[in-house]
Amino acid sequence: MKFKSQKIAFWFFAVCMLLLVLQVTYGFIMGFARIGMDGLHDIIPFNTARATHTNLLVVWLLTGFMGAAYYIIPEEADRELHMPQLAWVQLISWVIVGVVAVAGFHFNWWEGRKFLEIPRPLDFLVVLNVLLFLYLIGMTIWNAKKHSTTQLVFFFGLLAAALLYLPGMIYFDNLTMDSYFRWWVVHLWVEGVWELIMGAILAFLLIKLTGVDREVVEKWLYVVVGLTFLSGILGTGHHYYWIGTPKYWLMVGGLFSALEPLAFLAMAIWAINMYRKKGKEHPNKLALYWTLGCAIMSFVGAGFLGFAHTWPQVNKWTHGTLITAMHGHMAFWGAYGMLVFAVIIYALPQLTGRKIFDNLSGYIAFWATNIGMVGMTGALAVAGIAQVYLERKLGMDFLAAQKETEVHFIGMMLAASLFTVGVLIFIYNFIRHGKPTDEALLAPGESND
Amino acid sequence: MLSKSQARLFFLVGTFLFSAVFLGLTWDTMRQMSKRTNAQNLSAEVKAGKHIWETNNCMGCHTLLGEGAYYAPDLTKIVKQKGKTYLKTFLTDPQAMYPGQRKMIQYNFTEEQKDNVLAFLEWVGNIDTNGWPPEPNIKPPATESTVSSKVSEPPPEKFAQLCTACHKLNGKGGVVGPALDGVGSKYDLAYLDKWIKDPQLVKPGTAMPQMPLTDAEREEIVTFLIKLK
Repeated sequence: MKFKSQKIAFWFFAVCMLLLVLQVTYGFIMGFARIGMDGLHDIIPFNTARATHTNLLVVWLLTGFMGAAYYIIPEEADRELHMPQLAWVQLISWVIVGVVAVAGFHFNWWEGRKFLEIPRPLDFLVVLNVLLFLYLIGMTIWNAKKHSTTQLVFFFGLLAAALLYLPGMIYFDNLTMDSYFRWWVVHLWVEGVWELIMGAILAFLLIKLTGVDREVVEKWLYVVVGLTFLSGILGTGHHYYWIGTPKYWLMVGGLFSALEPLAFLAMAIWAINMYRKKGKEHPNKLALYWTLGCAIMSFVGAGFLGFAHTWPQVNKWTHGTLITAMHGHMAFWGAYGMLVFAVIIYALPQLTGRKIFDNLSGYIAFWATNIGMVGMTGALAVAGIAQVYLERKLGMDFLAAQKETEVHFIGMMLAASLFTVGVLIFIYNFIRHGKPTDEALLAPGESND
Repeated sequence: MLSKSQARLFFLVGTFLFSAVFLGLTWDTMRQMSKRTNAQNLSAEVKAGKHIWETNNCMGCHTLLGEGAYYAPDLTKIVKQKGKTYLKTFLTDPQAMYPGQRKMIQYNFTEEQKDNVLAFLEWVGNIDTNGWPPEPNIKPPATESTVSSKVSEPPPEKFAQLCTACHKLNGKGGVVGPALDGVGSKYDLAYLDKWIKDPQLVKPGTAMPQMPLTDAEREEIVTFLIKLK
């Protein structure tokens, strides 16, 4: 690391790890409930577990993005973070809002809209918090010694994500209106502006890890995010097939969301090409594993599996079934989970000065999480296909069809156990690095590029 | 080969262009919104129902318009499928309606709250969803329901309100329990009466719920069932 203020990133990453463990725990609660072991029903009913599971996901990913920003932006801007003490205020208030929201779920306190479950009063606190975050990052960039494409794309990704949170806060009496603008948050985040953040973080990592010329990496960054918006904005239409919106969305959404994998494909090709052109051997091989892994798994999970049920003729049958959960798991993991892991594994040795790059447990964590996730996705895919045929195509009663898919959830939980082992080993590695220290600062003139 | 400034131009122009098209389509969607969703029927009752729907995070288990959590049934057409009387009985004690099966939280709604929720769901059922959910398009293998029972008299009121939520008769009704065609030739009056009075006593572990019926109502239903030869 080059600047003292980058150290704050470590604590954001530490919070990430903690939230991820909680997220996985709630995943298991749901898995057990699905095979009939719902002993916790009276304390943690399914809707509480589900909201906790998905909201923790969003929060830990955002926490990871924030940590990544606090690490990357000073380095790209070539100056200390603007008012680093306030970054602590931001972290602590962020955690408090998160804890209150999750605790609230357990007392039936909701906004109660899919993915936007946290109650409206807390929404305003989130906005304040994010404003503070954007101010700190924005001012750092404003006073930057260097203005790189990477930092600008990163910043606009964060800014756009914050702005797109606002349409989700409006109250509508009409459910269709409600849903229409809810997707502005959810879809335009994960299949839009988050990909800006993803592209920027990947660009930063590729520049650092492969030594390929910045101009080349950043040129392709524009192409990748260009493809993202070209397909992703109108691709929102794949959420507008069946919710009461006009029929032309079937065509618009079908066509453009079918193009969405292109952006992820471009991202994967970009990452692999940069790797093949590499001008140096970076010692942190694990970071390279996670970076390339992210680019590839996001194509499989978000690109390919999304494509598999985005066409209206298919979606008519799969909409509102476990097929969506199948796609969701690998998409979020591949695109954003692995991205945060990549940043963490790259930044940890820089922050703590402990250069434990190449160790077996790191590779085990990589393979266990990924194989586990592939297994979970496979189990959900089989359960989802069974559900589509039994319930939708044959007209079997919902619960009777669910009964038939129970066995696949046993498979899912076995795969999830492997995934969890991987996560725990990753966290063990995280802890082994120790705390961030000023001793890890690079000497003036020394470079880690 | 593409230069960096060309790549940037591609990004900026593409983003601007497709955002503009998206906003245009959004404007048109808003224009058609009232008609497609019957917004004139958004009564105070419906609005209150939506509020109850959200403040209890019903979407955390159910889906509505296919959006939600896939743990409990989609409720888009539920009022048309099951009828309000059955659904009110169900909401009073959901677990009693599906004994031993996946649980729903008992919310202890007042009668008014139940009316509001059902008004909301009824309104949702009339949204123009471009034909979703689709009708099942594979015929199930033939079952006992191939016999159809012809009775001249109309079924008792409670039968039509409660029983057909789960059972089919003459091809109409739910798919949870077996079809009731020909049930009168399979069982005698005393058995049917005992069965409906307390299903768990006759067949422990059965999914058939004990319905809240008066003795007179039960007798009426049994008398009807026995005629289904």
